[in-house]
Amino acid sequence: MGAGAAFREGVRRVNGAPAVVAGMAAVTLLVALPLSLALRGMIQAHLGRSLAAETAAGTANYPWWQEFMSSAGGLAATLTSSITGFGAVLENLGGLLDNLPLATTIADVTAAWMVIWTFLSGGVIDRLARGRRTRAQGFFAACGVHFWRLLRLGMVAWLVYAFLFGRVHGWIFDEAYSRLTADLTVERTAFALRVAGYLLFASLLVVFALIFDYARIRIVVEDRRSALGAIAASLRFLRRHPGRVVRLSGLNGLALLVLLSLYAAFAPTVPRDGLALWIALAFGQGYIIGRHYLKLVGYASSAALFQATMAHASYTAAPVTVWPDSPAAERIVNAESVGLR
Amino acid sequence: MFRGAIVAAAILTLGSAASVAVHSSQAPAPPREVTAGSAGIPADTPLSPRNANYRIRARLDPEARTITGEEVITWRNVAAVPAATLQFHLYYNAWRNTRSTWMRERMLAGHTALAHRPAADWGWIDVTKMQLAGEEGADDLLSRARFIAPDDGNREDRTVLEVPLERPVQPGDTIEIAIGWTSRVPRTFARTGAIGHFFFIAQWFPKIGVLEDTGWNTHQFHAATEFFADFGVYDVQLDVPRGWVVGATGRELSRTDEGDRSVHRYYQADVHDFAWTTSPDYVERRARFEHPTLPAVDMRLLLQPEHAAQADRHFAATRAALRSYGEWFGAYPYGHVTIVDPAWQSGAGGMEYPTLFTAGTRWLAPRHATQPESVTIHEAGHQFWYGIVATNEVEHAWLDEGLNTYSTARVMEEAFYPQYYSKRYFGGFIPWVFRGFEQTREVDGNRMTAFRPVAKYDDQSTPTWRYWPASASAITYNKTALWLHTLERMLGWETLQRILSTYFQRYAFRHPKPEDFFAVANEVSGQDLTWFFDQVHRSSNVFDYAVDVLRSEPAVDRGHLGASEGYEVRGSTYRTTVVVRRLGEAQFPVDLLVRFENGEAQRWAWDGRDRWRAFETETPARAVSAEVDPERILVLDVNRTNNSVTLKPSGAAAARKWSLAWLIWVQDHLLTYGFFL
Repeated sequence: MGAGAAFREGVRRVNGAPAVVAGMAAVTLLVALPLSLALRGMIQAHLGRSLAAETAAGTANYPWWQEFMSSAGGLAATLTSSITGFGAVLENLGGLLDNLPLATTIADVTAAWMVIWTFLSGGVIDRLARGRRTRAQGFFAACGVHFWRLLRLGMVAWLVYAFLFGRVHGWIFDEAYSRLTADLTVERTAFALRVAGYLLFASLLVVFALIFDYARIRIVVEDRRSALGAIAASLRFLRRHPGRVVRLSGLNGLALLVLLSLYAAFAPTVPRDGLALWIALAFGQGYIIGRHYLKLVGYASSAALFQATMAHASYTAAPVTVWPDSPAAERIVNAESVGLR
Repeated sequence: MFRGAIVAAAILTLGSAASVAVHSSQAPAPPREVTAGSAGIPADTPLSPRNANYRIRARLDPEARTITGEEVITWRNVAAVPAATLQFHLYYNAWRNTRSTWMRERMLAGHTALAHRPAADWGWIDVTKMQLAGEEGADDLLSRARFIAPDDGNREDRTVLEVPLERPVQPGDTIEIAIGWTSRVPRTFARTGAIGHFFFIAQWFPKIGVLEDTGWNTHQFHAATEFFADFGVYDVQLDVPRGWVVGATGRELSRTDEGDRSVHRYYQADVHDFAWTTSPDYVERRARFEHPTLPAVDMRLLLQPEHAAQADRHFAATRAALRSYGEWFGAYPYGHVTIVDPAWQSGAGGMEYPTLFTAGTRWLAPRHATQPESVTIHEAGHQFWYGIVATNEVEHAWLDEGLNTYSTARVMEEAFYPQYYSKRYFGGFIPWVFRGFEQTREVDGNRMTAFRPVAKYDDQSTPTWRYWPASASAITYNKTALWLHTLERMLGWETLQRILSTYFQRYAFRHPKPEDFFAVANEVSGQDLTWFFDQVHRSSNVFDYAVDVLRSEPAVDRGHLGASEGYEVRGSTYRTTVVVRRLGEAQFPVDLLVRFENGEAQRWAWDGRDRWRAFETETPARAVSAEVDPERILVLDVNRTNNSVTLKPSGAAAARKWSLAWLIWVQDHLLTYGFFL
């Protein structure tokens, strides 16, 4: 199976699991919503019964916004004007690549969301790898079975990413970039060096993300218990199929780029009041669901690529599978239907 | 008290002698005396006292980053007192080490990284010769020179050099002092210095202080202040590598190539400073400002190659400043101006010098995001507030920076609005303009956001060099712009414009003080505005008026009202009560406007002195809203949100809208960091 076929297979599997997309988007929404409600209270308290609220509700009221920010702390301090429209994407992507510190509340929520996602990802990958409905019982059973394994993998990943952001980022941007640009007088040259730094750092992130992605998939698909063993297996897989893995991740990246471009083109910076607000909100949530969709396509296409290369898929006699047999066993059964036999 | 400084001066003298020997082969020839009308110098009528005149010849060695210079200062004592000593600024010594007053104050303000600059980044100036021309030959002054620290007594500060004279210079007398020096050009500090082949050279030569009737006004170089000097004629020869572009105060009179070097001669009369720049990389553009009633101005723009496409924006902003300032305050008299676009990371941007200024832009500079227009207008505007009306920037920086910030905001609003909030991402390279967030002159032009948190940090009438260094700019620039804008709305633009133009005309080519400005304001407005200046200038109090209570209910009276009325009287009107509070210490007369459901409105005037005042009225309709200072006369009010109350609040709708917009940001944030899962 080539990268294109794996991508199409990923799309097909995610299209067949709309409940998973909706569920994951709902989880993200539910994690973020309490903070949004808390912030709403803060904004309302600051505006009180002021006439300033009328313009803040109708347009942006930038003067009020600055007044609000001047007294804001904690969560409220994250309500910068730059979080609106496509600025939200730039703010987050720029913050990540520049390794900017997160507000404590946001960091806490991000950590909590990651733990929840780690729990759910066992069920999600299981569902997408099987390519059939597993029902809630099967989904959550898979979540439970794989959670501690994925959590162990996550801790290894955390150590690696902590090293990348804590050390390597500093070496690239604080030391190498700073040294290379210290006496530069041409901004374009500095920008080119900055882009090179981003490419280098992003490449490192992508390489490790791929290692952990396929380790995650092998944990679930092959019912592996050892996180380190899964990482080793992932490395073997990447070594054997580098071209297809890179092409597939390129396709996934391209899909994300298309989505971001659409959002950049159409996202309103300042939603109007009334119906326009709800349309803008729906557009924003559509974008968020699109992000979830593409993330799941990433899981599903990677799983499809891996499953297509399983040595035994094309020659092992198909077992009669009964849950909780692994998705690998199901794959052997289903191999005929996708032309592997 | 100054024993250490005397020892240091002796060491300096010895060191300088060695330095002269080292550089003797490259030392420039002493400048010849020239007179107006000769050697291509335009004959003109003096606009200023011209009592501090300089003939300078300086040689730049870009590889060693050194300047070797000789100058002859022709100085006339225009004060009413004799000068028993001479005092000179040696600004470059502020960056000799971390012990200077400038460095100490910068570090106090939190700029500690400066202390960790590599050895090659520091700069200094060593005087190698100082002679007073006399009938009995030259009198060597250098052996008697000593460093002084009149402001803070810092013995390690070497930014002011004092020389006792054997015979005082009497009022009206003129002397000539020949000075030689060498200096190391730093990696930019305070917008002067070098990076790569870009040199911006300012505050670079030994400069005589200002003698007033009360004595020398020669302050040390402070972190939060700029400069003060007398007007004069500058005739300067700059020896730089051949092929390098030079921009400087004044007009270029001649250029002489000598081997691999070129000597550029610049001349300018009626200015109080001289700065210059050189680089082989500049792209040069020229344009002309023309106006039906104002004199034409030749504009010369020295651009970085990567900004070549932004030439028109620089010219448009400079034209806007020359036109508006010219029409509002008075004409720009020099006929030429040089706009310098500094190199990236040079740190030289946004600074004014006579007939020359540095702007500042970025490779990616979207329109409607203030850069480079705002900084260009501001620095071009300084040709008026600083260049022509030459206030003491060390003691009353607000008089030029504040007036200029106010004026800049006005020009920006007139010529370049709308402007929007913008932010730079990815290391500060990629700009994004948030078109929904439109800037306003009241808040953004006057820089209210930066002023608000430090509003109480300093009384503006404190000498600027004594301001807390970290908030000095907010008190100097922002507060003045805010109170001038308040004054504009209080008196009307026509009146304020007459005040400013009268002040400009009266004090052009002079050194006015705050009292002069206040006197003009009182005279032209026909009002005693002392109470206003007491509030905004001679105090650190903040303005904050608020509507606290708005109640509007059917008018009902109960109790023992009298036999004819019974126990309860229920009328057909609404009784509206409004309580207004003064939350800040500062006082200002404000109006209260109450609007009613039937479209009518009532207005009350309040002197704003008490801590609170209740207003009550009975009307046929229920009140809808109450607003204190509805026309926003008091631009200085630090909290505008609390100025109004409505009985039909939209706070919930606004909060819902923005919290939902924020929700998308958080979700996107989780998914962006979800890259790792």
